[in-house]
Amino acid sequence: MKIKLLLSTLALGLTSAVFAQDATPLQISGSVDTYYKYDFNKTGNIKTSFANEQNSVSLGMIDLALKKTTGKASFVGELSFGPRGQAQSIPDAAVDATSGSLSSFNIQNLYINYAFSDKFSMTAGYMGTFIGYEVISPVGNFNYSTSYLFTNGPFQNAGIKAAYAFSDKVSLMAGLFNDWNAYQDFNGVSHIGAQLTVSPVKGWTAYLNFLSGHSAGAAGTGTIYDLTTAYQVTDKFKLGLNAADYHVSGGNGGYTGVALYPQYAFTPSVALGLRGEYFKYNIPVVANPSVMSVTLSANIKAGGLTFIPEVRFDNDEDFSQSFVKSNLAPTKSASQFSLAAVYAF
Amino acid sequence: MKFILSFLLLSSCFVITNAQTEQSLPVDEQGKLIYYEVVNVKTPADSLKIRVLNYLKKQNKDLKFKSTQGDTAFIATGKMIINKTLLVMSHPSGEVLYDFQAEVKNGKYRFWLTNFSFIPYQRDRYANFVASTTVGIPLENNPGKLNAGEWKEYKVQTAKYAKDLASKFKFYMSSRTPIIALTTEKKVVKKEW
Repeated sequence: MKIKLLLSTLALGLTSAVFAQDATPLQISGSVDTYYKYDFNKTGNIKTSFANEQNSVSLGMIDLALKKTTGKASFVGELSFGPRGQAQSIPDAAVDATSGSLSSFNIQNLYINYAFSDKFSMTAGYMGTFIGYEVISPVGNFNYSTSYLFTNGPFQNAGIKAAYAFSDKVSLMAGLFNDWNAYQDFNGVSHIGAQLTVSPVKGWTAYLNFLSGHSAGAAGTGTIYDLTTAYQVTDKFKLGLNAADYHVSGGNGGYTGVALYPQYAFTPSVALGLRGEYFKYNIPVVANPSVMSVTLSANIKAGGLTFIPEVRFDNDEDFSQSFVKSNLAPTKSASQFSLAAVYAF
Repeated sequence: MKFILSFLLLSSCFVITNAQTEQSLPVDEQGKLIYYEVVNVKTPADSLKIRVLNYLKKQNKDLKFKSTQGDTAFIATGKMIINKTLLVMSHPSGEVLYDFQAEVKNGKYRFWLTNFSFIPYQRDRYANFVASTTVGIPLENNPGKLNAGEWKEYKVQTAKYAKDLASKFKFYMSSRTPIIALTTEKKVVKKEW
């Protein structure tokens, strides 16, 4: 009886799927990633976000996203599980304020959008940040390791925002947001943010971003100005740029940095990309330590799978990153090799 | 036993339905993929011209009227979304851009879709699927071994889309409802009276 029921259900399911293709389906997508990293000084020197475990086949995360659009309304819910999506992301959804229990999952996106017209829409909830070039999901980045700009900037912003498209070339977003990376804002909705998007020529888009506010417990008001832009110069060559300046009022910290991302696609399946970054901390008392980093990555794609072999060299003149040699003596430079596999579905 | 037979029958229907759609487009003299059709009708060129223009101007942003060449040729550009589907779940994996052209004569018209180029989508920071580049890859290009399976699927979906669009276009062109020419706004001249 069970077999009959199973076969009938399966057969009906298969045939319904043929006829259901015209219906607007629930979008399910996501990714899985894993990596191996080897630091040539035999220690985990480079401490930018994710992929930090030395000489180990380690886990990234499994990321699951749901999206549904009904008329003008849509929602997105995206959760991730695994080191990249739990303890290494901020915040961990399961951290209990009283017990301090850790690690269940991280909410990447959880928001509702309503498009009042083709030009005007509003969104409320918890969203990936609009600041910066790189993102948490490895599917959205060319390089597997992340930049200092990404690591030190916001990951996500909860809030409410309105976006208006003046034309195909210019649009503006403005919103009210919680503190960085916080599901709940304990000092009220404390940040304002805006993003001006311009697309002056085909293939070139620039985002001018602004976010300012006083986070709970912070020494001052933090304000970040950010330029994120990418230009598809030819069908094979793409150039990206990210520049940001973050200052906390009263000289209470921040950073300034710039990163350049030239990428060349030899074929639709094989591309090579460089990231060159200069990053400087605005630290009170200490004389603004800086770090330079060069990362060379390849993307080799086969269907949903992307292999990312990568080498990275960081130079820290001011010893701000605490790089050490294999004998634990301080050093100014660090280098690493990594091989990551990212599967997107 | 009956249930097993029913299951096999329904499953084979599914396989047949899929197999019927797995056809790619033919290529033209330049080696470009093309959907080409000549249709004979008992309608004068003037009416056909109005119908083509009306059809193109009524389409949403997925097929945009671009220009006319002379008095009888019409050019539009279009976009179709390629979906990665698994049973009832799916998400867009890219878009195919194309050119649509139509020409009319007394008693017949022809139309074709060509210059297909694929733009892959990637998921952005808000988990929306967006174009990863602005420069499309011609669908005729050899994708290499690594992406051969997916590329074949793009071609199959493109062929299916072209066939559907052709059916809709031909249905509109053969419509018996009166076709009204697009009227220009009337101006009142008050100088002379």
